[in-house]
Amino acid sequence: MTDKKNQVSRRQFLNYTLTGVGGFMGAAMVAPMVGFAIDPLLKGQKDTEFIYVMDVSEITNEPQRKTFKVDQVDGWYESQVDRTAWIFKTEEGNILALSPVCTHLGCTVDWASNEQYPNQFFCPCHNGRYTKTGVNIEGTPPTEPLHAYEYKVEDGKLLLGKAKKR
Amino acid sequence: MKYKTSDTSQYTQAKEYIDTAIIPLIPFSFVSDQEMTQLSLQKEMTQIYIDQIEKELKGRVFVTPEYYYVKNDKISDEKLRLEEYVNHINKQPFKYIFLITPDNKWRKITKDMDVDLIWIPVIKEGNLNQSETQQLIQSQVKEIQSLIMDSWNE
Ligand code: FES
Repeated sequence: MTDKKNQVSRRQFLNYTLTGVGGFMGAAMVAPMVGFAIDPLLKGQKDTEFIYVMDVSEITNEPQRKTFKVDQVDGWYESQVDRTAWIFKTEEGNILALSPVCTHLGCTVDWASNEQYPNQFFCPCHNGRYTKTGVNIEGTPPTEPLHAYEYKVEDGKLLLGKAKKR
Repeated sequence: MKYKTSDTSQYTQAKEYIDTAIIPLIPFSFVSDQEMTQLSLQKEMTQIYIDQIEKELKGRVFVTPEYYYVKNDKISDEKLRLEEYVNHINKQPFKYIFLITPDNKWRKITKDMDVDLIWIPVIKEGNLNQSETQQLIQSQVKEIQSLIMDSWNE
C-alpha cells in the first residue's frame, strides 16, 4: 500500500510536467520584458570594438565613402553587418567620420548627390539635407545632425567604433 | 521599413512619409530536386536585393511580408489572390506599390494593375558569396533604386 502511495500516477506526472512547462513559459514571458527594459545594452555592436577603415594619410578634405564590417549582436542574432562612413578632414584639421543614416527616418544619405546642393549631404527620400559637417539644415525633415563615429588613430591608421549622437 | 515591431510602430507614427510598399513575390516548388534548388537560390537572391534596397530607402519604403506561391506555368491562377493581397495592403495610404520578383511570368498579368513590376534577373546556379555575383547585385540594386526614385520624382 505504502508502495502505491509513492508511485506517481500518470495524471500527477502530467500535472507536474505541465506546471513545469508553465513555469518555463512564464520565464519566457518575463525574459523579453527584461530584454526590452535593458534593450540598449543587448543591442548593437559589441562595445569597445574599433575597426580599421583607412590610413590617415588617405583622408582628404572631400568626404570619402568607406565600408567596413562589424559584428553586431541584435537580441537573438549575432551577425556581420556592413557599416558605411563618410570620412574627411574638417577645416580645423580634425577627422570626422559621419554615419550615412538619415536622422529623419533612416534612409541612406549621399554626399553631393544633388546638383543643386554640391556641398551638402542629401537624402533622396524626403530631400533631407545636412551641411558638410553633418548639421541638419533647417526647413528639411531631419531634426538632428548625422551621427558621428567614435574613432582612434593608431600608427597612422584610422579605426572606427560606434556611431554616436552628437 | 520591414514588417517587424520596431519598424511598424515607427511607420504608424510617420505614415505620410512612408508612401511606398514593396511586395516580394516568391515562387517555390518541391516537385523536382532541381527546381527546389533553383527556386531557393532565387528566393535568397530576391531577399538580398530587397534587404539592400530597404537599407538605402528605409525611411520611405515598407517591405510587406512575402507573397509565396507554388511555381506554376499557369500563373494566371494567381492573379485573383495577388489582387486581393494588393487591395489589402492598400488599406494603408500607400501611393506607390512595387512588386519585386525573380519570376518574369508576372509581367503579362500585372499589366492592367496599378502596380510596378520589378523583375530581378537571376543566376541559374552558383554561389551568392562570389565577388562577381555581389558586384552584379550591387549594380542592379542601384538601378532598381533609381527606378523607384524616378517614380517618386515624376
Ligand atoms: S529619411 Fe531622410 S529626409 Fe526623410
